[in-house]
Amino acid sequence: MIILRSLFYILIFPGALFTACFGLFLTGVDRKVVARMQHRIGPPLRQPMYDFFKLLGKETIIPHAANKIAFLGAPIIGFVSLALIMLFIPVGGLTAFSGNADMIVILYLITIPGVALIVGGSSSGSPYAGIGISREMVTMMAYELPFVLVLLAVARKAGGSELAFSMEKVAEWQAANGNMLFQWSMIPAAIAMLLVVPAEVGTQPFDVAEAETEICEGPLIEYSGSALGMFKLNTAMKMFVMSGLFVSLFLGGIRTGFAVCDVIVFILLCIVVTIICMSTTHAVTARLKIEHLFKFYWTFVAGMALCSLILVWCGL
Amino acid sequence: MFNKLINDSASKSPWLYHINSGSCNGCDIELVACLTPRYDAERFGFKLAGTPRHADIVVVSGPVTSQSKERLIRTLAQVPEPKCVVSLGSCPKSGNVFKGSYSVEAPLDDYCHVDVSVAGCTPKPEAIMEGLYKAALILKEKREAMHK
Repeated sequence: MIILRSLFYILIFPGALFTACFGLFLTGVDRKVVARMQHRIGPPLRQPMYDFFKLLGKETIIPHAANKIAFLGAPIIGFVSLALIMLFIPVGGLTAFSGNADMIVILYLITIPGVALIVGGSSSGSPYAGIGISREMVTMMAYELPFVLVLLAVARKAGGSELAFSMEKVAEWQAANGNMLFQWSMIPAAIAMLLVVPAEVGTQPFDVAEAETEICEGPLIEYSGSALGMFKLNTAMKMFVMSGLFVSLFLGGIRTGFAVCDVIVFILLCIVVTIICMSTTHAVTARLKIEHLFKFYWTFVAGMALCSLILVWCGL
Repeated sequence: MFNKLINDSASKSPWLYHINSGSCNGCDIELVACLTPRYDAERFGFKLAGTPRHADIVVVSGPVTSQSKERLIRTLAQVPEPKCVVSLGSCPKSGNVFKGSYSVEAPLDDYCHVDVSVAGCTPKPEAIMEGLYKAALILKEKREAMHK
């Protein structure tokens, strides 16, 4: 029974299937909202679904210079790690697996899709992919520092005198004391997290690694067919995972009394966060250069997160 | 069921790759105009891809100059199946005003199979959209022929 339930968690509900379907839907919402902001009609909400299934039906070309195992294995590793992260994030009231150090597990798992992109890109043997992976590495270094600072601030706030690295505890604290977002000492951290989310997903102003107009989608340049489809799915799932992480860190603990309502509230909040931090920035900004991105994250964003951390450490 | 879903999706998300084989840039501007808010080709799922590996429809403009011929053939070979080739403007179809020049090797269908030709110098965005839409329907037929 426990095995069956765990399998259900991993494969269907907060795990692989739900994350994939809802991630694709969220990408559709993002594209539609960006189109409406640019006064276009825009693609239907199912468009990412069509893209994914079309890519499954295309021929997968493996270049001569590529290492076959790493080239085809990388997108699957990314997919598995993203499906795993969803098990630690409380969806409504439900956390599939909870422990004492969820946040640290999430922090490690969330770097794996980026690493998978680097492995896949470097095994394809294209010079454009080489430029792309070096940019991806710099982007990862840039957002990792503010991300860790934000998690530390949240853990300290929820844990009181000791650090609470459990997502369950963060949700409980918010259910008792109100949302983290409305604690004034946490507002800088929330802004920093809102800026970390688009960099992690790789949307418009921060998509330096996959700049399709200058380096032809960087690490993805040699990918085609179902392997490319898996990478597109990974990006879509990352969008859901990161917005879900923001919601559970800063807007979690909303309890209506019914489990289904909680899940619906969670989903609606995810859509709102996606529209605010990804679609709007996508519609109004142009791509940054990599050195500007690095500077921006290590000064402004890290500064905001640090400010919040100091305030929380002082007991505010 | 799965196969049917993939076949249906084939015509609904055609990604474009644009090759300029010595065009005067007129057709290229009109192709980009299709993606602007006024015509908005993205509502049919059209998207400009950065690399031939991601493409479904390859749009070729220009009269195939001697310099670009070899690159054009190599790029077309990199596109995964099922694919469509659309010739944009009068140049790849006939050579247009450049016909007879020592450095021009039009027409394009000497080197590859052309599925849809959009003639005109330059074609209107409406005409380009119709041509691309026809190419998207041909993509679905090709996909069905690949997996009976």
